[in-house]
Amino acid sequence: MRTNIIGIYEDDDVLLKAVDKLQDNGVKVADVMSPFPIHGIFERLNLTTRMPLATFLYGAVGTIAVFGFLYWTSVVSYPLKFGGKPLNTLSFIIIMFVLTIFVGTFFTFMTYFVREKMYPGKEVTLPVPETTNDKFVIVVNTTDDMTKADIKKINDLMKESGAVEIKESNINYIS
Amino acid sequence: MYNTRIRGVLIKGNKSYSDITHEILKPMNDRTPLWWWVAAFFATGALFWGVWGFYNTISTGIGTWGLNNNVAWGWAIINFVWWIGIGHAGTAFSIFLLIVRQKWRTSINRAAEAMTIFAVMAAGLFPLIHMGRIWDGIFIFPYWNTRGPLWDNFNSPLFWDVVAISTYLMASAVFWYVGMIPDFATIRERTTSKMKKKIYGILSFGWIGNAKGWLRFETAAILLGGMAAPLVVSVHSIVSMDFSVSIVPGWHTTIFPPYFVVGAIFSGFGMVLTLMIILRKVYKFKDIVTDGHLDAITRILVFVSLIMGTAYLTELFMAWYSGSEYELFTFMKNRVTGDYKFAYWTMITCNAIIPQLFWFKKIRKNITMVFIISIFINIGMWFERYVIVVTSLSKDFLPATWASYSPTITEVSIFIGTIGLFLLGVLMFFRFVPTIAISEVKGVLKETTTHKSFIDED
Repeated sequence: MRTNIIGIYEDDDVLLKAVDKLQDNGVKVADVMSPFPIHGIFERLNLTTRMPLATFLYGAVGTIAVFGFLYWTSVVSYPLKFGGKPLNTLSFIIIMFVLTIFVGTFFTFMTYFVREKMYPGKEVTLPVPETTNDKFVIVVNTTDDMTKADIKKINDLMKESGAVEIKESNINYIS
Repeated sequence: MYNTRIRGVLIKGNKSYSDITHEILKPMNDRTPLWWWVAAFFATGALFWGVWGFYNTISTGIGTWGLNNNVAWGWAIINFVWWIGIGHAGTAFSIFLLIVRQKWRTSINRAAEAMTIFAVMAAGLFPLIHMGRIWDGIFIFPYWNTRGPLWDNFNSPLFWDVVAISTYLMASAVFWYVGMIPDFATIRERTTSKMKKKIYGILSFGWIGNAKGWLRFETAAILLGGMAAPLVVSVHSIVSMDFSVSIVPGWHTTIFPPYFVVGAIFSGFGMVLTLMIILRKVYKFKDIVTDGHLDAITRILVFVSLIMGTAYLTELFMAWYSGSEYELFTFMKNRVTGDYKFAYWTMITCNAIIPQLFWFKKIRKNITMVFIISIFINIGMWFERYVIVVTSLSKDFLPATWASYSPTITEVSIFIGTIGLFLLGVLMFFRFVPTIAISEVKGVLKETTTHKSFIDED
């Protein structure tokens, strides 16, 4: 069974230094939990997201789809002159502009919820509930090939880098 | 990242992270205070009065209003534009200040966004009620029908309004809610009550606050910021086009879109100021919403007030310079002087003159004065819409068709009703939701508390 070594810290700057120290010593930091986003942690853990690309694609598809709909309704399906304006008018730009934002916003957040696997009523158990208040946590996965000495080394590194408490937990908080 | 020394201390009192959580959540754990019940009582009363007006309008018809052939738009559109304007501050706060990385927004944005949502809801009621046959409301959307199918007129600003306002409501509501998820998780993990744990557990969507989660959270926020910033500008531009694409004197001007956008930000910031002063007073948030925060808002207001004044003068100049006698009549004989001069000069005084008092540090630091001036701004902006709508319609090209307009009790009651709706929404927000974004305030805590504030120097 997979367990995690969890180092609890009380300050975000201390935690950043601790992550550096663990990584310098060849320990793979699996995750960090914090009450607010810590700047510098994403680079250290090599985390990236493709959400901007997704948003761009939603927006592009949205613009084209909205124009297609407006063109089809006004020029193809029921051509009807309003105020002597051409059937395919510049007014469409306003509607396309706003609805592009609509489509982009809506689907970006849908993507966010889907990728994060978040939904109303999802039940989670946090290894350290105080990470939503004032504690910062480094999570290191233990693997089968780790010896007792390896685990002790991780514990020592965490202690040296300022962890106020270190514990092992087998709570699988990422579902 | 850079730090600014100009803004000074954002969070006073050397608080720890835990202090911040505790302080912001304290009002939610305390017993419901008496003032809340009193305010909720009056708000509900106002809401019920509005429901009466609504029922009266729908069951009898628009004839219950004071409208006539000339003045076909009265209080309904005035209130609609007024509420939409107030609704602009939330997004202006969270989005504009997010994009320009103004950290002082963190203490205020949650309340401003809540205000936006309730104001836009109140605004959205007016076009619906104004339809008279509200059950035909579906006609405003282009849907497949058996009449052709006959689609909407996509050249009409009224259709643009539908699109713009529904997008605006959706985007601000989603942004507001997603921003609250980490705070709901904080309540979920802290509370001892089983009931609360269940409710906030559902609301928090299973938030865990790990690194990847925060990365996606921040990315989503900045993406929405980038998309919604043009929306803030476009929504009120579109509202102004309801007027400016017509040929009515006083409406048919190109200044309308920027003038309306600025006016919206002005009234929105005014309302934010009103609410934040109340919020920090009743919940003792003076360390988090500091005098420096209020000072920053008043500085923006004095600047925006100058733009408003310039816009009013530009309108007058253009009325003369255009050489159109109808324009000149509307501005000089029907606004500056004439039947509606009271409304016009109230607008000028409240929007362009009184806020100039914010140039004085003494007045900016006197919270009572700031509060009173913020109320004046709210009133002034209502009169601005009154001047625009009623003066232009009442006396246009043909003197034979001139008419005057005064609202009936039904119109007044609908307006009071929307105020009740707004207040009730705000009160619910004060009671059941963390009124300040806990996680965002924690994020700026360290960067700012080491600097000394310019406002506290003396």
